[in-house]
Amino acid sequence: MSFTVHHPASVSDAVALAERYGADGRFLAGGTDLIIQIHRKRLASQHLIDLTGLAELRAIEDAGDEIRIGALATHKAIERNPLFQGALVALAEAARVVGGHQVRNVGTVGGNIANASPAADVVAPLLALEAEVVLQGAAATRRVRLRDFLAGPGRTMRGDGELVREVHVAKPPPRSATAFLKAGRRKAMEISVVCVAARLTLDDAGRCAAARIALGAVSATTMRAEAAERALEGALLTDDVLRDAGRLAAGACHPIDDVRASARYRRLLVEALVPRALARCVERISGRRS
Amino acid sequence: MTRVPLTLSINGEMHELLVAPHWTLLYVLRTVIGLSGAKENCLEAECGVCTVLLDGKAVNSCILLAEQCRGRSIVTIEGLGTSGQLHPLQEAFIRHGAVQCGYCIPGMILTAKSFLDETSGRVPTRDEIREAISGTLCRCTGYQKIIDAIAAVAAETKGGT
Ligand SMILES: Cc1cc2nc3c(=O)[nH]c(=O)nc-3n(C[C@H](O)[C@H](O)[C@H](O)COP(=O)(O)OP(=O)(O)OC[C@H]3O[C@@H](n4cnc5c(N)ncnc54)[C@H](O)[C@@H]3O)c2cc1C
Ligand code: FES
Ligand code: FES
Repeated sequence: MSFTVHHPASVSDAVALAERYGADGRFLAGGTDLIIQIHRKRLASQHLIDLTGLAELRAIEDAGDEIRIGALATHKAIERNPLFQGALVALAEAARVVGGHQVRNVGTVGGNIANASPAADVVAPLLALEAEVVLQGAAATRRVRLRDFLAGPGRTMRGDGELVREVHVAKPPPRSATAFLKAGRRKAMEISVVCVAARLTLDDAGRCAAARIALGAVSATTMRAEAAERALEGALLTDDVLRDAGRLAAGACHPIDDVRASARYRRLLVEALVPRALARCVERISGRRS
Repeated sequence: MTRVPLTLSINGEMHELLVAPHWTLLYVLRTVIGLSGAKENCLEAECGVCTVLLDGKAVNSCILLAEQCRGRSIVTIEGLGTSGQLHPLQEAFIRHGAVQCGYCIPGMILTAKSFLDETSGRVPTRDEIREAISGTLCRCTGYQKIIDAIAAVAAETKGGT
C-alpha cells in the first residue's frame, strides 16, 4: 500500500491535482468507502486528494427555489439541517439510517453519490427529487441530472478529473411530501436490502398531480419506477391504487440474489414498501394542511 | 518509505510526528504514541472499538488516515477523565455495572459522549440511545446496563456532557 495524500488549499487546486493525476488520482472525502477499498486491496490509487480541508464544499444553502448541498456535507449534517424537515424530509430520513453514528459523522453525500452503490441510501431520495449534480473539472463546470450521472454499480459519468461539487434539489410545490423507507436485515447499521423513496404532490381535489418513486438495491443503479409513477398521476390515491403502484414497481425492478437477500424477497419488499411510502406522503400532506 | 511531517492535537497535547501516508489514526495512536485505549478489531468501521472523538464527534479511527486529522482535535478515552476524576459517563458505567471485560468500553463511552453532546438540550429516548450505539458492539453485556448508564447521564445532564 503506497500512496501520497495531497491537501489542496482550494477547490480549483483539488481539481487541478485530479486533472494532473487522471486515473491514478482519487478524491478522498470521508473515506468510509475509499479507505476500506484500499485496505482490501481492491483499489490502488497513487494519489489521494484529500477534500477534508475544503470548508466551502460543506455548505448546505437555501437558494430560494432550490437547496444546494455541498459534496462534503456529512450524513449527520443533512439529518440535522432544518431545511430537510417539511417536504424534503426523505433526505433526512435516508441520511439518518446510513451506517452507525460514527459513519454518519464522516461519510458525505458526495461520496455516497460518486461511489454509485445501487444501495446508496441518500441517492434514493435525491433521485425521487430529480436532483442535479454539479461537476467541476479543470476546464469546465457542468450540471447533470443525477439519473444520467449514475451509469452502473460503482460507475458514473464523472470524468477522472471531475469533482462532484454539489447537488441541487428543487423545492417541491405546495401540497407535496416525501418519504423514505429502508429494509435491512437488522434495524440499524445495515446496508439496504431494499430502500424506497417517494415524492408526491396532490392537487386541490386530492388527486395525484405528480409522483416520483426511486428504488435502491434492486437494479444496477438506483432506479425510478416510472410505470408506477404514471399509474398514480391523475388518480385518487385509494389503497387499491397505491397497491397497484407497488405491484408495478416490483414488476419493473431487476433485483439479484446475494448474501443479503434473494431477488424474490427484494421484489416482495418493493411491493410492500412502495405503497407504504406513498401512504406516508399522503398522510404528511393532509397532516400539514389540518 | 516516505514519511511526512504531521502535527496532531491529541487530548490537548500537540504531537510532532513523521507518518507514512497510509497510516491510520488508530495505528498512530496505538503503535506510534502508545495510547492503547482505542482498540483494534475489524478495521472496517463495523465494530466501533476504535472510536475516538474528532472535533468532538465519534469517528472510527481505523479507517481515518492520520493525515486527515491535520489541524483537528482528537480526544481518546485517556483524555476523558482521570482515575481521580472520572467523567460522568465513566462513573455511570461503573454505577450501573455496564462494564464486563471492558474491551468495548472506551469506544462505547466516546460514542455515548458524542451522541449526548449532539442531543444537548433534550433527553433522548431509550430507542435513540440504542440506535446511537448501533455501530459500537459489545459482546459481553447484552447492552441493557450500558443503555441504563447512558440514559442516567442523559437524564442528569439533559443531553450534553
Ligand atoms: C460500516 C459502514 C456502514 C455503511 N452503511 C451505509 C448505509 O447504510 N447506507 C449507505 O448508503 N452507505 C453506507 N456506507 C457507505 C458509505 O459510508 C457512504 O457511501 C458514504 O456516503 C461515502 O462517503 P465518503 O465521504 O466516506 O466517501 P469516500 O469513501 O471518501 O469516497 C467514496 C468514493 O467517492 C469518491 N468521491 C468522494 N467524494 C467525491 C467528490 N466530491 N467528487 C468526486 N468523487 C468523490 C472517492 O474518490 C471514492 O471513490 C457504509 C460504510 C461503512 C464503512
Ligand atoms: S476496529 Fe474500527 S470499527 Fe472495528
Ligand atoms: S464489556 Fe466486553 S465487549 Fe463490552
